[in-house]
Amino acid sequence: MDVKYINPFIMATQSVFKTMLAIDVNLNKPVLKTERKTTGDVTGIMGLVGDRKGTITISFSEKGAMFVYQTLIGDECSSVTPDVVDAIGELTNIISGQARKEFEKAGINLKASIPMVVVGQAVVMNFVTTIPIMQLPFDFELKNGDKEVMFLDFSFE
Amino acid sequence: MKVLVVDDFATMRKIIKNVLKQINIENVLEAENGKHALTVLKNDTVDLIISDWIMPEMTGIEFLKACKADETIKKIPFIMVTAEAQKDNIMEAIKSGVDNYIVKPFTPDKLREAIDKAKAKVGK
Repeated sequence: MDVKYINPFIMATQSVFKTMLAIDVNLNKPVLKTERKTTGDVTGIMGLVGDRKGTITISFSEKGAMFVYQTLIGDECSSVTPDVVDAIGELTNIISGQARKEFEKAGINLKASIPMVVVGQAVVMNFVTTIPIMQLPFDFELKNGDKEVMFLDFSFE
Repeated sequence: MKVLVVDDFATMRKIIKNVLKQINIENVLEAENGKHALTVLKNDTVDLIISDWIMPEMTGIEFLKACKADETIKKIPFIMVTAEAQKDNIMEAIKSGVDNYIVKPFTPDKLREAIDKAKAKVGK
């Protein structure tokens, strides 16, 4: 996978977490996924078309998704409610928008679809492409010191 | 300060409200599109409008044009929020009289700065 496809997602994720959530995320070792399935419990999905075509997904554990909701909205929650699902959709939209801005700087113009969110583990995904899926695992710290991981998967061709 | 937040996505309205709260602005009205916002403005007075770009029924740019064409509300500072930092969109908003714009994602400080600049532009 060309590094020019990876960097926009790294920069976008780090920037969005820092600005919207005031959280630093650390990128762990990227992996190539063999299975076309979601990784976490709550997954935002965004299709991208234009100079390239592909899909990105942003996946959290239930605990991670609830933490994102609480930090973004400022409300408490004790389960994955429709509001939590919407918040993950919006975060997916914002990260995608920021990544597209980075792609634009590299001369690649992309348009996004409306974000969708699926709840459940190992949901089979069609990433539109035939090439492997790159997974970028980002870890971040919750207020109680626990570590959570957000998985950003994408495939572009 | 009373702010009208216009966005078709309830979660985004909540996010903006949460950011506003962090800069001590808690008096917030909400509308889910430009058409709804114009109705709100007929019945209430606000000091600032923060509007999304892409919305059903009446888009942000249509809402902006309607506001700037109305003598009774044209002086309310208008900030456009967009996730797509595309120059064409921004240029269209500037030509239509937007007082400032802000690109998602943004920090409370960035929003504060955008509000101050928008207020200064309309002389408030």
